[in-house]
Amino acid sequence: MSNFWGLIRNENMKIYRKPGTFVMMGILVALVLITAFLFKNIVDETVTGNWKQKLQTENVQLQKEIKKEAKSNPGIVKYNTEKIEINKYRIKHNYQPIRSVADYLQKSTSMVSIIVILTLIVAGGSVAGEFSAGTIKMLLIRPSSRTMILLSKFIAVILFAIVLLLLNFVASFIIGGLVYGFEGASQPILEYVNGHVETMNVFGEIWKQYGYGCIELIIMATFAFMLSVMFRNSSLAIAASIILSMSGSIIMSFISKYSWSKYVLFANTDLTMYTAGRTPLVKGMTLNFSIAVLLVYFIVFTVLTVVVFKKRDVAA
Amino acid sequence: MENNVLVSLKDVKKSVGSKEIIKGLSFDIHGGEVFGFLGPNGAGKTTTIRMMVGLMSLSSGEITIKGKNIKTQYKEAIANVGAIVENPEMYKFLTGYQNLLHFSRMVKGVSKQRIKEVVALVGLTDRIHEKVKRYSLGMRQRLGIAQALLHSPSVLILDEPTNGLDPAGIREIREYLRDLARKEGIAVIVSSHLLSEMELMCDRIAIIQKGELIGLQATREFVQGAGTKKVRFVVDQPQAAEKAARHHLKEGEIGTGDDYIEMIVEREDIPEITATLVVEGVRIYSIVAETQTLEEKFLEVTGGESVV
Repeated sequence: MSNFWGLIRNENMKIYRKPGTFVMMGILVALVLITAFLFKNIVDETVTGNWKQKLQTENVQLQKEIKKEAKSNPGIVKYNTEKIEINKYRIKHNYQPIRSVADYLQKSTSMVSIIVILTLIVAGGSVAGEFSAGTIKMLLIRPSSRTMILLSKFIAVILFAIVLLLLNFVASFIIGGLVYGFEGASQPILEYVNGHVETMNVFGEIWKQYGYGCIELIIMATFAFMLSVMFRNSSLAIAASIILSMSGSIIMSFISKYSWSKYVLFANTDLTMYTAGRTPLVKGMTLNFSIAVLLVYFIVFTVLTVVVFKKRDVAA
Repeated sequence: MENNVLVSLKDVKKSVGSKEIIKGLSFDIHGGEVFGFLGPNGAGKTTTIRMMVGLMSLSSGEITIKGKNIKTQYKEAIANVGAIVENPEMYKFLTGYQNLLHFSRMVKGVSKQRIKEVVALVGLTDRIHEKVKRYSLGMRQRLGIAQALLHSPSVLILDEPTNGLDPAGIREIREYLRDLARKEGIAVIVSSHLLSEMELMCDRIAIIQKGELIGLQATREFVQGAGTKKVRFVVDQPQAAEKAARHHLKEGEIGTGDDYIEMIVEREDIPEITATLVVEGVRIYSIVAETQTLEEKFLEVTGGESVV
């Protein structure tokens, strides 16, 4: 077991001694900074003074819009209806709209797709990079089984993904706090769900989203590992896994009308579609269904990766 | 030689697709010897080494290291082996020291003190904290040897160990490897295309060609041949010398030149012929027994085949 701990330390050393790793972290923080300012236009502003009066005036305005757009633009109707209900709820229960870091933190989970790409790069380099550099020969002629070496690499990559998630959270909290203010962060979030307004704890909601992000990262890292072991070439493995993961949502938009498409990997990776206010990609999908599908993919990927890696002659 | 078999190959075969690239190799390597692995490019040297260290699977046959089967008892077998397969590829973005630290974590019982010792041994103490990407080929080779020696293995396998070293470095490594074999009793297995190098370093040499073992001999025998050799006497009167030598040599050619005669004789005949020449009043300036170099022998054995 002490030997296995050594293997993980080795993999960590190889990840964090690469200058590229810190460039990646820098890119992530820079993106948090940029989006913090961009989201400013999307997030509702703080309403001060006689805010109840102001919300009522807004509701009248929204109602007018609904009448005007009723036939031509169903999207606006839906959006405005929800907004009106939430405003009514705020007035009734005395929740003043305060723009705070909490609003931004909620949006910050969208950064998971960037973290997925960075994780794919590290995962792809972790196995295939050893083949490309020829160091795989040095690595495999030691008294450690190939399975353990692979597992240590996988754990190190997952740890890296978790580090990025934490970095994203901390950076979003600090930068978001500076841009939006820390005040009012403890107010519950109001969401329009199934025809009525619900209150939700901000941080509970955020942790749930980060948890979903973690699951997505694990399945994508497994996918990248498989490609990495099959291709044995880091550029090819990284490019293939990134292209596939990015085109996943595009492919889904074409095939989501077929019911079998719910079994496709990319239909299930983004679990945040099960959070309040969003609808699943394909009708009839549930959180449990997605987790079951992902689990099957995870097992298939893992078995394939381990079998190929164990059997393969190393001629690099 | 002591009968201490450390590495044993028994009818080792390897097929890739339908092609058999190793066609049944069998030999033993003993502790305390430097064993050379020689063959033209593509003969299967590296494939054999890869099978010895478990990078490639065997199609049939068996390899044992210290009695442990490389296939079924991999961890126990490989724990006794230090190796460089082909080039000493290290992590370029790490320092030399970090590379050694990395490999030391994968084996049992390598202390920081041991790392220090090995670094000093290969002469890298001054540069060990520099990134490997700044190392010359020779320094990488030294670092490669250092990682192979870290856990004090009883079998050391080095593919082209002197590649990239300058003459002084080659000499140093050569002596060090011989020392390791002599004093520590470890089995050192080297492959090289530098034949003269093998001649100086190895106790025994195996020649493989097209996946088959075509010669396995002690280097001395190998170079000198079994008995007869061509001898040249440099003399003042070649004609008289020829006549005198003819008495001894019942058959065979005697070649003559302006100032020499030469003939193929048994080793034991050389003093007699010399005595006869002296008695006949021929003045002898030098006697040269031509030994075949390993290179000539190699070309002879392999039929001088060119690399495809």
